[in-house]
Amino acid sequence: MKSRSTLTNRACAGYAREAVLASSLILLVLMFALTAFVTRQYHKRVHELGDQWFAKGDAELQGGGADAAIADYRNGLAFSPDNSVFQFHLAQALAASGHTGEAEGYLRSLLSASPGNGEINLTLARVAVRRSAMADALRYYHAAIYGVWEDDPIAQRWRVRRELCEYLLGRGAASQAEAEIIALANNTPKDQVAQIDTAANLLLRAQVWSRAEDEYRLALAGDRRDQDALAGAGAAAFQLGRYSEAIGFFTRLPQRGRSSGDISEMLATSRAVESGSPFLRGLSPADKAGRLRRALADSEARLSDCVQKSAGVAVPGQEPAGSDPQALLTEIRKAQGALKRASLARSLTLMDADMNLVFEAESAAARRCGPPSGAADRALVLIGREAGGDRGGASP
Amino acid sequence: MTHAAPQGSPAAVPAAAEPRSIFARSRTLYREWMHRLVAPHGDQFFLVLAVLIGIFSGLAVVCFRVAIEWTHLLLLGSSLTPSPLRVLLVPSLCGIGIALLVIHAFPRARGSGVNQTKTAVYISNGYVPFETVIGKFITCALAIGSGQSLGPEDPSLQMGAGIASVMGRRLRLSQEKLRLIAPVGAAAGLAAAFNAPVSAVLFVIEEVIGTWSAGALGAIVLAAVSSVVTMRWFLGSESLFRVPPSELSHPAELLAYAVLGVVGGVFALLFLKWIAAARPRLQRLPPRAQYLMPAAAGLLVGAIGIWLPQVMGAGYPIIDQALHGEYVWRVLLILAVLKILATGFSFLSGTPGGMFAPTLFIGAMLGGAVGGVEHHFFPGLTSTVGTFALVGMGTFFAGFLRTPITSVFMVVEVSGNYSMIVPVMISTLIAYLISRQFQKVPLFDMLTRQDGVILPSIEERREHVSLVVEDAMRADAAIIFDPDEPAAAAAQRAGAAPESPLLLRPRLGEWRLLDREALQRLAAMDEPSAPRMVSEATSKGPLPLIFPDEPLDEVLRWAGDWPVLPVVSRADLGRLEGVLSLADVLHAFRKAAAE
Repeated sequence: MKSRSTLTNRACAGYAREAVLASSLILLVLMFALTAFVTRQYHKRVHELGDQWFAKGDAELQGGGADAAIADYRNGLAFSPDNSVFQFHLAQALAASGHTGEAEGYLRSLLSASPGNGEINLTLARVAVRRSAMADALRYYHAAIYGVWEDDPIAQRWRVRRELCEYLLGRGAASQAEAEIIALANNTPKDQVAQIDTAANLLLRAQVWSRAEDEYRLALAGDRRDQDALAGAGAAAFQLGRYSEAIGFFTRLPQRGRSSGDISEMLATSRAVESGSPFLRGLSPADKAGRLRRALADSEARLSDCVQKSAGVAVPGQEPAGSDPQALLTEIRKAQGALKRASLARSLTLMDADMNLVFEAESAAARRCGPPSGAADRALVLIGREAGGDRGGASP
Repeated sequence: MTHAAPQGSPAAVPAAAEPRSIFARSRTLYREWMHRLVAPHGDQFFLVLAVLIGIFSGLAVVCFRVAIEWTHLLLLGSSLTPSPLRVLLVPSLCGIGIALLVIHAFPRARGSGVNQTKTAVYISNGYVPFETVIGKFITCALAIGSGQSLGPEDPSLQMGAGIASVMGRRLRLSQEKLRLIAPVGAAAGLAAAFNAPVSAVLFVIEEVIGTWSAGALGAIVLAAVSSVVTMRWFLGSESLFRVPPSELSHPAELLAYAVLGVVGGVFALLFLKWIAAARPRLQRLPPRAQYLMPAAAGLLVGAIGIWLPQVMGAGYPIIDQALHGEYVWRVLLILAVLKILATGFSFLSGTPGGMFAPTLFIGAMLGGAVGGVEHHFFPGLTSTVGTFALVGMGTFFAGFLRTPITSVFMVVEVSGNYSMIVPVMISTLIAYLISRQFQKVPLFDMLTRQDGVILPSIEERREHVSLVVEDAMRADAAIIFDPDEPAAAAAQRAGAAPESPLLLRPRLGEWRLLDREALQRLAAMDEPSAPRMVSEATSKGPLPLIFPDEPLDEVLRWAGDWPVLPVVSRADLGRLEGVLSLADVLHAFRKAAAE
């Protein structure tokens, strides 16, 4: 009897438990569904808020409000702490507002996650530029150039190298810049005139004249009226001593472009060289002698004028041996006299020595009274230099 | 084509049922399975129940965490730096609402939840009413979401215990199981809230139940794991903190962590002393003041929050930032001090909410600050400020909550890095020892005692040295006889020591008590032609064997039944180490009490 009662009790307890367990399972399913709904809504909202703050930060940063952008990005990151895009933008904003240390911290952390990322390396390079750490800047710029870029990697790498070239030129590191600029020029697509112009401009700034002229010519092959290329090619030709080509390039510029400061000066100087140089090919002996006489007269006039103006004024630096102005004037006058007396053939044999004298006179005048201001005098310096008389002191 | 079985034969039921339907057979199988599963005393059922409790607790904690975040977004907005007016008004106005809810609707929801769960386990057989779960959910979500400096872990622990308790009652579990089921739920709730099952299991064992009970351990582990899996299902498997990699490069750096242990211990002690002194005074205030205290706390926390909003709420993102070395040491120190103040205000006001998160926050800030200062003076230190912050969490936790094992494993579990275990152990131990030296009663025991309930202190129990048999036994007090020893010689030996008990060793591992008078009588009957052996004398036994290392209180159950008990070696059951009587046991207890 007792065992039967125990069995009945156990059965009752068992059935009750079955019911409770079954209802628990139903409740579990309902709670699961409710929790899934609630968490989905929550994640959605969090995602939206993160995006909203991020967009606000972007707008602030583009509007120049780096500090406000930092706060917005931080708010965005609170909703998406592992979002590397948010972190990157925050780092950019921090760098823009001068918080270079914190920016660098974020960027290094991002870089450890994706070491080859071009954009992160570029931003790190800019941060290094801000804190004048040239070695770091070069390392990060190079890592950016050889790094991974998602959109249009060739153009991005070209842009980074150009930035590096500008940085190096700005720092006066011409020799390092030259190699980078040549690499930039080599990597410039031949159909992109604007990019060729940019590369050529950099070559011009780095005083790689010949390569600059080549690049400008390439640009002109693409667009004959490209004013930047015409001006640049003219300047390069001028620096290379090819004055007639320089005149050709400059005169193709419209009047307004031609009259701008440097170009107008180079054009005038080139014309003066072309009209005054006795060394030009195709001149008759009489023309050569005439130009030689005019050169001696001009240099004598400039030096004597300079001596008069600078009487009693101390000359900066030490006069090179044999550059005494009075002695030079005497020599010029002697040369002028000799030229009057000499035959035409004899005059031409004295041309090199006389032009050397001209150059020395211009140099002495430049040392005393500053660089020549007139096109004719600038031209004389250049002609004299061409004749092999460059001893320093004069620059056109 | 079936063969009819004879009526009443064993094959009758299946043979008759087979052609009926597959559903009938499935139902029979289901019933058998269910009966086996829900057997009232089955361990299998208890384990299944633990999994269910874990899943329910995990779901509840997920909803709780979402509720806290949503409340925060609604009340304080999505900006990290809300407007000062909002920061000041929201916690104080919500404080009034919380006070009304706690006083009128959910009085049991007050406090952190750990000591309340412990009280339920020890006093009311694990009974936690379901309205406590609801109340804890609502009031804590409001409190933490509005910026009070409290955390969600301890409430989650209590909610888990409540869910387990409700299920246990509905399933009509025995009282013994009901007492066990609440800690199972507590572990599940804490594990889900902290996303750290090992730490949760250790905390519940270390703080709530106090013993490594084999019956509960399996269920606790299962519940903790299933709740964590559930939580990760919905909220992702990322740990609470993204801990940067760290390692100890030189053993000399352990000194730096020892300094952190001292600082952490002192700060934990100061915080404990403040709570110990201020709480009873605030409890003595008139009942009307209870309505205003959470609001006042909210106002004070808000006032701090205007300057440093990092101290508001649980503060996990700030801990994360400290771990990544995003603050300088001065800021970290200020944050630690202000967080102690803010947490003290919130907790002492009776606002429901936990102490886990604030403790970790303070520890991380202190650790970072100590690390920063040490880096300033010793730039060669390789451990980062973030590493110090990580170790600081465990250090302050051990000093304040006094759970050293949980503290060590928590740091290891949160960081996923075992290389830091030695610094953590050193720092944690120092903080724990300092705190224990100057504050005898741990936090949760102190809180229950202030509430008029004296629960067994787990720390006292852990440190209590129990007496063993060795402390009470008398060595060399008995005379041992072998069964083949002549009775006359034996009687002569026994007569030489009239007070000593006589023990017979019939075979290895068996001991009997010889009757002195019977031995004398046997010896008197001895004749040279027919010598009598000791084995013929009357003896009592076999006696229960006890060992020198056995707890004395466990031996008590036999000590009353026998005049003496043989204490034998575990390695050789035939070797007597001594004897023990009831008088010896009582003498040892009296002596220990007097000492």
